Amino acid sequence: MGILNFFGGNVLYYPGCLTKIVAKDLEENYKKILNKIGIDFIMLKDLEVCCGNPVLNSGHEKEARELVEKNFKLFKERAVKKIITNCPACFHMFKSNYPRFIKNWDIKVEHITQTIAKAIKDGKINPKNFNHDITYHDPCHLGRYEKIYEEPREIIKKSGNLKEMKLTKNYSFCCGGGSGVKSNYPELANSIAKERIKMAKETNAKMLCTSCPMCYLNLKENSKEIDVKEISQFFFDEKNNKQKLK
Amino acid sequence: MKKINLQNDIKNNENTQKTIIPIIYSYKEKRDKLLNEEQKEKFCEELRKIKEKSINNIVKLKKETIKNLSNQGINVIEAQTVKDAINIIKKIIGKEKTIIKSKSNTITEINLENALKNKKIIETDLGDFIIQLFKEKGIHPVLPSFHLTPKEISKKIKEKFNININPNPKEIVCFVRNILREKIFNAKIGITGANVISSDGSIFILENEGNISLISRIPEKHIILTSFDKIVETREEALKIIRASSIFGTGQDYPVYVNIISGPSKTADIENEIISGAQGAKEVYLILLDNKRTTILNSKFKELLYCINCGACLNFCPVYHQIFSRYGAKYFPGAKGVISSFFKESEKDAFNNGAFFCTTCQQCKENCPMKINLSDLIRDLRKELVKQQIEPSSITEMIDNVKKFGNPFGKIDTNKKPDKLYCC
Ligand code: SF4
Repeated sequence: MGILNFFGGNVLYYPGCLTKIVAKDLEENYKKILNKIGIDFIMLKDLEVCCGNPVLNSGHEKEARELVEKNFKLFKERAVKKIITNCPACFHMFKSNYPRFIKNWDIKVEHITQTIAKAIKDGKINPKNFNHDITYHDPCHLGRYEKIYEEPREIIKKSGNLKEMKLTKNYSFCCGGGSGVKSNYPELANSIAKERIKMAKETNAKMLCTSCPMCYLNLKENSKEIDVKEISQFFFDEKNNKQKLK
Repeated sequence: MKKINLQNDIKNNENTQKTIIPIIYSYKEKRDKLLNEEQKEKFCEELRKIKEKSINNIVKLKKETIKNLSNQGINVIEAQTVKDAINIIKKIIGKEKTIIKSKSNTITEINLENALKNKKIIETDLGDFIIQLFKEKGIHPVLPSFHLTPKEISKKIKEKFNININPNPKEIVCFVRNILREKIFNAKIGITGANVISSDGSIFILENEGNISLISRIPEKHIILTSFDKIVETREEALKIIRASSIFGTGQDYPVYVNIISGPSKTADIENEIISGAQGAKEVYLILLDNKRTTILNSKFKELLYCINCGACLNFCPVYHQIFSRYGAKYFPGAKGVISSFFKESEKDAFNNGAFFCTTCQQCKENCPMKINLSDLIRDLRKELVKQQIEPSSITEMIDNVKKFGNPFGKIDTNKKPDKLYCC
């Protein structure tokens, strides 16, 4: 992790609340991946607050705006010039909603699959090869909201044979977890996830991969039939969680 | 708010899901064959422009429409409320006992069947005819009965008519055709909706079955109940909307019939004197129902009025796939129905109809020919509801946590996973 750099500006890795608090292993994975790529990044750690996306989706715009202001202040104090996040909801929030709320928003935002896909092209990192079919679930916030369809696929194609589901890319079928449904009506979120799992199963792929902590947790919880993975797990051995060296 | 649990609704809809999902996939296949992504985008853009222009200019277009249609002999009547519409319809019907009807969301909106309990309303659309037999509510605005199997239908026919019909679609259609023909040919009053109205003076109603052609020709009086948001400027534009309704509604390029009605039936064959009621309807009534549409027009939910009721937004909606007509309002399922019920009923109804069911995944927008962003509108609706403290309790908890701890989950306990995943 880097030391604060007030002159050139800092790259911030922002895992977001769900990753930081619930899917902690993903945060660990991504920190290692970023280090391996050689990106000098800072983190906010205990100072990090929610990006505001779930708050905005719930209808509490006033509270969401307060979080936006808070975050912007934090970012500026730390001279953040670019945010890298693995959470598609945070990504969408920073990329498309912050500029709506903050006039002088000038921070670059990158989804971590973009960072990684580029690093693969530059020969800096490589996922392990599974030698089998993998299907990919487009998270709504990354796909339909931000039109990022290719980068995650580029990573997967390095790991195995990509097999698309019937509903994919801009027609990708939601995992059911978003917009508070997972906590407001978990039975609904689970039922939707099961339908998505069926679609994944129909591809006959051995593995279903996604690039969003919520999709990952919700799909995994509802899958007996197919192995569900989050894309960072492609870079580690299952057991000892050691970064696979190229 | 009273907690909603959807477990039973999900369970009760398991079979429906099994029947419907293959139909939806074949619909998409047909639709994709007609328009590739690029053509679809271009077409949608054109459609959206037509509707934007019309709705932005609707006050003037409505005046023009009324003027032109009236000059052509159609009785145009505006109804502010559902009650007004029902009273107008009752007056037109008078003492007649039987009314033949086609499928229409606006007619469902005013709950005509309930208002005319002492009359006989005959559904002439096969789907609605079946739904009426089952005393259910339609599951989809375009395909109301597509969750029922031939077996279930022929069983119901046996129950109601004491006739054995083989459980195959062909025989069911043949049976219904014969029953309905007789009723249609004896009817004096017919009521339909409309798909589009062009301000230059025509009303457009599309169909495949031919029942609307008959309703608009055979009875003496044809009542058309619709709303002002169906108005576009020209007939050319109207035909584009018709094609969109067909492609996005059912995956076919063009419907079998497009009824274009510009006045009551007439002839001038004898001494050039214009006499109405040659072979078609003698009297045509157009009722324009408002029922809060003007309020919607002047609100941030204006986009809702671009809707052409094709139902494409439902076809890949993850919530609809689990609970079908439980999601939305009686007169329209899904997110559109939820938002409509906020205006037409109450905040609480919008909540119970599913204001917080939506995952805001934007699949609806991707499929909508008008590119209506229902996810954004749902977020706007939630803003209105939370102002009145109408929200699921998990949201109240989440907001508390964010305020106190800066994250949705609350105090972080490194040894325990939170039991509710409040994101995102
Ligand atoms: S919102 Fe769009 S997709 Fe849904 S019924 Fe209306 S026009 Fe069709």
